[in-house]
Amino acid sequence: MPSKATLFLGVFVGTLCSAEPINFSRQIRPILSENCIACHGPDEKARKGKLRLDDEKDSKRDRKGDFVILPGKPEQSELIKRIESTDPDDVMPPPKQHKTIPAAQVALLKQWIKQGAPWGRHWSYEPVARPSVPKSGETNPVDAFLADRQKKEGLTWSAEAPKAILIRRLALDITGLPPTPTEVAQLSGAKHADIVAHFLAKPAYGEHWARQWLDLARYADSAGYPSDPGRVIWAYRDWVIKALNRNQPYDQFVIEQMAGDLLPKPTEDQIIATAFHRNTMTQNEGGTSDEEFRNAAVIDRVNTTYAVFMGTTMACAQCHTHKYDPITINEYFRSYAFLNQSVDSDKRDESPLYEIYPPGVKAQREQWVKDAVVAEAAFKKPNPTWLAGYDAWLAKGPKLTDKSLKAALDAPKEKRTKAQDKLLSDYYVRNVSPATKAERALADGLKKQIAASAPVTVPIMQDLAGEKRRKTFIQLRGNWQALGDQVDEGVPTHLARWDDSAPKNRLGFAHWITSRDNPLTARVTMNRLWETVFGVGIVRSSEEFGSQGDLPFHPELLDWLAAEFVESGWDTKKMLSLLLNSRAYRQTSAASSKRNEQDPDNRFLARGPRFRPSGEMLRDQALAVSGLISAKMYGVPVRPIRPNMGLSIAFGGSGDWATSAGEDRHRRSLYTDTRRSTPYPSFATFDAPNRETCVVRRDRSNTPLQAFVTLNDPVFVETSQALARRLLKEGGNTDESRLRLAYALCLSREPDAKELATLKTLLAKSVAQYKADAALALKMATEPLGPADKGADVPALAAWTAVSSVIMNLDEFLMRR
Amino acid sequence: MNPLREAQLSLQTRRTFLSSVGQFSLGAIALHALQTDALGAPSANDNPLAPRKPHFKAKAKRVIYLHMSGGPPNLDIFDYKPELVKCSTQDCPDSFLKGRTFAFTTGVPKLMGTPRTFKQYGQGGLWMSDAVPNFQKIADDVTIVKAMHTDQFNHAPAELLLFTGHNRQGRPSLGSWATYGLGTENQDLPGFVTMISNGVQPSGGQGCWGSGFIPSVYQGVQCRSKGDPVLFANDPPGMTRDLRRATLDALKDLNQRQQDELGHAETVTRIAQYELAFRMQTSVPDVMDISKEKPATLEAYGAKPGESSFANNCLLARRLVEKGVRFVHLFDWGWDFHGTNPREDIRDGLTAKMAATDKPVAALINDLKERGLLEDTLIVWGGEFGRTPFREGRTAKSEVLGRDHYPDCFSIMMAGGGVKGGFQFGETDEMGFGGVKDKVHVHDLQATIMHLLGFDHERLTYRFQGRDYRLTDVHGHVVKQILA
Repeated sequence: MPSKATLFLGVFVGTLCSAEPINFSRQIRPILSENCIACHGPDEKARKGKLRLDDEKDSKRDRKGDFVILPGKPEQSELIKRIESTDPDDVMPPPKQHKTIPAAQVALLKQWIKQGAPWGRHWSYEPVARPSVPKSGETNPVDAFLADRQKKEGLTWSAEAPKAILIRRLALDITGLPPTPTEVAQLSGAKHADIVAHFLAKPAYGEHWARQWLDLARYADSAGYPSDPGRVIWAYRDWVIKALNRNQPYDQFVIEQMAGDLLPKPTEDQIIATAFHRNTMTQNEGGTSDEEFRNAAVIDRVNTTYAVFMGTTMACAQCHTHKYDPITINEYFRSYAFLNQSVDSDKRDESPLYEIYPPGVKAQREQWVKDAVVAEAAFKKPNPTWLAGYDAWLAKGPKLTDKSLKAALDAPKEKRTKAQDKLLSDYYVRNVSPATKAERALADGLKKQIAASAPVTVPIMQDLAGEKRRKTFIQLRGNWQALGDQVDEGVPTHLARWDDSAPKNRLGFAHWITSRDNPLTARVTMNRLWETVFGVGIVRSSEEFGSQGDLPFHPELLDWLAAEFVESGWDTKKMLSLLLNSRAYRQTSAASSKRNEQDPDNRFLARGPRFRPSGEMLRDQALAVSGLISAKMYGVPVRPIRPNMGLSIAFGGSGDWATSAGEDRHRRSLYTDTRRSTPYPSFATFDAPNRETCVVRRDRSNTPLQAFVTLNDPVFVETSQALARRLLKEGGNTDESRLRLAYALCLSREPDAKELATLKTLLAKSVAQYKADAALALKMATEPLGPADKGADVPALAAWTAVSSVIMNLDEFLMRR
Repeated sequence: MNPLREAQLSLQTRRTFLSSVGQFSLGAIALHALQTDALGAPSANDNPLAPRKPHFKAKAKRVIYLHMSGGPPNLDIFDYKPELVKCSTQDCPDSFLKGRTFAFTTGVPKLMGTPRTFKQYGQGGLWMSDAVPNFQKIADDVTIVKAMHTDQFNHAPAELLLFTGHNRQGRPSLGSWATYGLGTENQDLPGFVTMISNGVQPSGGQGCWGSGFIPSVYQGVQCRSKGDPVLFANDPPGMTRDLRRATLDALKDLNQRQQDELGHAETVTRIAQYELAFRMQTSVPDVMDISKEKPATLEAYGAKPGESSFANNCLLARRLVEKGVRFVHLFDWGWDFHGTNPREDIRDGLTAKMAATDKPVAALINDLKERGLLEDTLIVWGGEFGRTPFREGRTAKSEVLGRDHYPDCFSIMMAGGGVKGGFQFGETDEMGFGGVKDKVHVHDLQATIMHLLGFDHERLTYRFQGRDYRLTDVHGHVVKQILA
């Protein structure tokens, strides 16, 4: 692969020609970071030549008359001399690094030194300062910033998209589901802002946005590693949906997931929220060390915490001081110390668990348990009258399945031990005696009630107390058994200061993450929101805000959004509304070739955003337009149709499952049983991660295997069949009226004459084929959906299934436009 | 890849792309970061799976990796230890146990020499046991690496380390690196295929063929000899080929109209993907159908049409590489010889397991040789770690002889693709506790495979989270001695 350094050129070289002062953070630091910092940076062990190029003082100090950087004098700066050297022993970077700094960047370095080599910190570590909104005539500040930037790029806004398209766009972006034709009709006269509010108020909003959060939380319904047994943790998934729907302020959302249990008098919800960090994997393979994998879980918690909330790759500092960013191995393990006190220790039972009861049930159940103890005890000290009929029962030789009971019964009466006698008479009293009928009914009733009221459990975070608290040591070279110095809890304070009044536990850690001083949390979160709405983040590498990440294409815009977010009281829906109401969002996504060429990824938003939704959304959309979708929310994970692979999981059970019955077969994809070892195949084909570790950004590939899914996966065949039935039932009597309904349902628009003609031709061909072959038609119309209504025109249903499938494979259906 | 480069490339890509509609096949995957050719110049090619040149001239153009999930007992197959046989049933010396943990053994286990008979075979005098009668016959075609070692003694982490360079989930696999680097020769078939035999997926899970953080077009596509050859490749019941063609024609027509009106390059890509999918519906079942093979060939492999056996998969591997698939990765379950049941016994159990294994492997090597493919096809056969020179603790009192997991030494067999024939490399100590000469770490094996494919393993990298990642992490040395 070529040197990555060349890339910065395209963006920054333009400034070289102008007289504008060079910006260290944006123009120089990336060059140094890419080429020099690994050996001349924060990592003491890797540092060469006693030089730190990440440190202004050290870079500019007098080295016995030599200077690495001599401000104003590039020709006397060793930095430039070494880069330009032709001597393989002297040249930097050294040849074995396979890196060459392009001439234009060297020129930039020279220019910068000439300008006095002004220094600065990495942009994302600087405090967020609220920039003033550019004056451009735009009312939405987002548009004001963008218009300013577009002007510099020679771009201008596109026209507003047609209303129906905007309604569909908003419905998909906010709720993950397409609008119904009725909704489109009702909303077509409404103001854009009211349409936004309409969809934001739907419970489907929480479901849709929870799916994204669950990628970050690496949520799954199984424990992972080879045997991958099931795990009951869905109460956490439901918590996320509810928290999003009630628009919980983001800082609270973070604090409760990190440390809800440590809040004063935590509520049930706050305790359930801590399951966020119990989504780590549990190793159940025989012969593995619980301590090793407990440690692996804590490492994952540290990495996930920093990745999700702060866009920071901590993993590097796990083995050595970070080579690019100023995070030491010591700081890594001080963060680790916060998370190292959790009681959980890689146990099969996932303890500690929290038990959830419906309101009032807990006390009632406790009473039942007490009553049951009393009731069962009574049988052990039987009233003599209860034994009436005992001998006769014995003489009959009843059939007993329990081994010891059977042995007792089979023993000759005189040889039975006292214990055996007692065993038999107890059994008689508890299960047979006519005299205990009422008592038995009571005890059995209690048993049933206790079983039926068993709580839902969820693994939670809970800290060890007193002497049981663990000591944390630095782990050398990432080896959990090679321990260095002991460390106490702490954070990288150069990122944000630690409030000395905060408790030194997870709660204090959570407050530090969400403090106003933290330069990363609000930026990272707003960038993710932007990425979800517009397709690409303001910082493209939404998972990496450190010095090896990308620079924001519009730093002022990001900072303004971050500042506004904090000012708003971390109000996610408010910020989302701001983006969704922008002119940028409302534009048509149609692309002129000029706009395409100039800005292929549409980062400057001179046209509306358009991208492929997730596999989960595509399935939900198909279920919705076909009318199959179940509106049921929450609860036990469900198992929609999935192909049988005939494979087992290593040291575990079958990887296949039986399809859920009834409406559970057609629930929103978010409720699908998420197995780490056997991810739901169609979601995986559309780039869903397997939830083994946190994934901040999904890939958006476009492959032939995806065509197989939407053409042939029984899930999509079934939705085509259901749509066909719907069209014949609700679509009027002509082919054209039915096609119009199909377009309204699937695309929220009218088909044009040519589209109608194409589909009518296909329909005619299909009808002819299926009329000629009834068996073929029956298969096409009913497998796997099931029998059609009595008297239904099966060949017509089969033909409309083929047509529906075409509509549901249109690029326009598979893209959110 | 640096995202800025991604932007540049995709700009360039789309430009080329728009002017060359109609000429591409798989790919034109415009949404993706696209490859650069190995010498550093950005490639104008818009297909991420298009064939590419490696860093230098490759010895191997393709790989068939035969993985025996569970860890075959090296001391009963290739690594003959007569001294250990002499010490059988003695207590294992404390020096080997001190400070160590084993998966299922605590206390002081008893040493166990092999109960099998070893002899030397071929011109290189390769040691092999009576468990592998068919390997004996191909001794002149293979290299046995005898002092392999790994860092992990549990299955999942050991498999992940072997196939992704890291013992936890999340990194790209060997096959995906190879496909990322080289693309593939046949655009109507997946570039990286994996197949599983004996009904259980490997402990390392789908991560063993996953693409980690590199684009998902490079992940292994699981093919099956029963059911859909590739998931969802079969048309639904009631759909004829003729009607499928008609639906795709309508789809193409409608999509094209949208493209003309709205100008989205992705639409063109999607049209292409559906056309490719249509072709794959023929090409995949075709290549996966072994019934067209000659009876003599089926017999040589021990393959039977309709089964999902390791033998069938070996034959399929040949059919796939012959058609231009870059990397075929087979996983065979049932090599965890603990001795907890008769199948895991190193005497009869191993004989039975090997009977279903060494014959198809030998047949595969012979078949490739006859077709002139062996010289540029690399074959690797082995497990994720070795097994202890002592009896496993749990089963010490049973009739069944088993060994525990052991990371310090194990053997693998390599053939073709630029590797020497009739050669054994590396030595373990006389008791089989560790390598004493020419040790090869799993990262070294990875570096060597990449070298054979024409790559400097330190330079085939992918930028993720601000770091350039590579298969060998920060390790790995090419084992030059085994190169032909």
